[in-house]
Amino acid sequence: MRRTVLRALFTLAVAAFTGGALAPLVRTGQREGVEAAPPGFDEMYRGRRIQGAGPAGGPLAVYVDGRPLQLMRCADGGWLTPIDHCASYPTPLAATRAAVDELGGAGLSGAAATHGRGPGGGARGGAVHA
Amino acid sequence: MAAPYTRRNQRDLTTAERRRFVSAVLAVKRSGRYDDFVRTHVDHYTTDGEQGLRVAHMGPSFLPWHRQYLLEFERELRAVDPAVTVPYWDWTRDRSPASALWGEDFLGGDGRPGDRRVTTGPFAYASGNWPITVGVTDEPFLTRALGHPADPIELPTRADVDGALAEGGYDVEPWDSTSRTGFRNRLEGWRPGARGTARWACHNRVHRWVGGLMVGGASVNDPVFWLHHAFVDLLWTRWQARHPRAGYLPATPPPRGSAQYRRVVARHERMPPFDVTPAEVADLGHVYRYDG
Repeated sequence: MRRTVLRALFTLAVAAFTGGALAPLVRTGQREGVEAAPPGFDEMYRGRRIQGAGPAGGPLAVYVDGRPLQLMRCADGGWLTPIDHCASYPTPLAATRAAVDELGGAGLSGAAATHGRGPGGGARGGAVHA
Repeated sequence: MAAPYTRRNQRDLTTAERRRFVSAVLAVKRSGRYDDFVRTHVDHYTTDGEQGLRVAHMGPSFLPWHRQYLLEFERELRAVDPAVTVPYWDWTRDRSPASALWGEDFLGGDGRPGDRRVTTGPFAYASGNWPITVGVTDEPFLTRALGHPADPIELPTRADVDGALAEGGYDVEPWDSTSRTGFRNRLEGWRPGARGTARWACHNRVHRWVGGLMVGGASVNDPVFWLHHAFVDLLWTRWQARHPRAGYLPATPPPRGSAQYRRVVARHERMPPFDVTPAEVADLGHVYRYDG
């Protein structure tokens, strides 16, 4: 019984999350970088499925083939990931594509989602902040 | 106190010296300590648009943090073999994948086409001595793509380095990747607003040029990381000699209420995870010196 309730709650949560993700998708025709909150995305890029989703104005979670990729904000307004450290990209989508470019055929490890969390390595928790 | 030891240009090492450096690195890897160093680097990468202290990159302590980091790695090497020091790679001079740096008896060569796996030299996966166990990808082998053929780039030039060395101040507000002047960001190599390959300068450009694991947070998995950062450290000593009255900045912490409050390390603040301050590592001439 308890398991059934949990499953129902999970389904609701997924539906809510997906709804939040779909809303920004309808704006993809707009110029990159002008929205207050970064737009979500869900596309195939060089044979990899890349997704970015989250509630408007809230944390944006990014995935490559379903594995989480940490997205970090830069002072110039851009973004970078643990896979490509050496440049800031103008949007989360550009940073995710750059990560795929650098991955070659590799998949992400667990550390790709939890990078920069040591003492003096910032104050973030597990969430990825947009 | 012991006399300072010398860090030398990798191109001047003898065959025996190259072999001893490689053997010491492999011993530190076998002990598990090498992977601790990789983990430290991964854990301390905080970007400048996020909250929290950024100690290793995109801030003024980029240079002293890596100075201490190299020193601690070098201590591990010298515990294995007291004759070994970290050599430096002058990438303004040794600019080609054909350089002896990438030889089979030293760091090994370029990655192969496709998966970019390094297949030659002591750090090739097939050697069994260099599995990648702490990384941001799931591949267990070292990767490189020298010159970044997918989007070709050249190594930084002597003129790039000279431009950085001519900077009169160590660093400037806002103490991050958008600092327009100052030696630290010119050398670290962030170029906000630049397009194409101009986005990568000096230190960052070298990471990009080597490619593969060197581009990401686990770049330390490529032993060339140490030779690259030894040259960056050498350039800092050159800058210090040229500007003897220009100390590390900021001298005092940014005040409460300012954007950088508790996000950058001031001259007399410690740099986690190390229990030292930028002032304390500003002159390590009694520990080591460079031959160049």
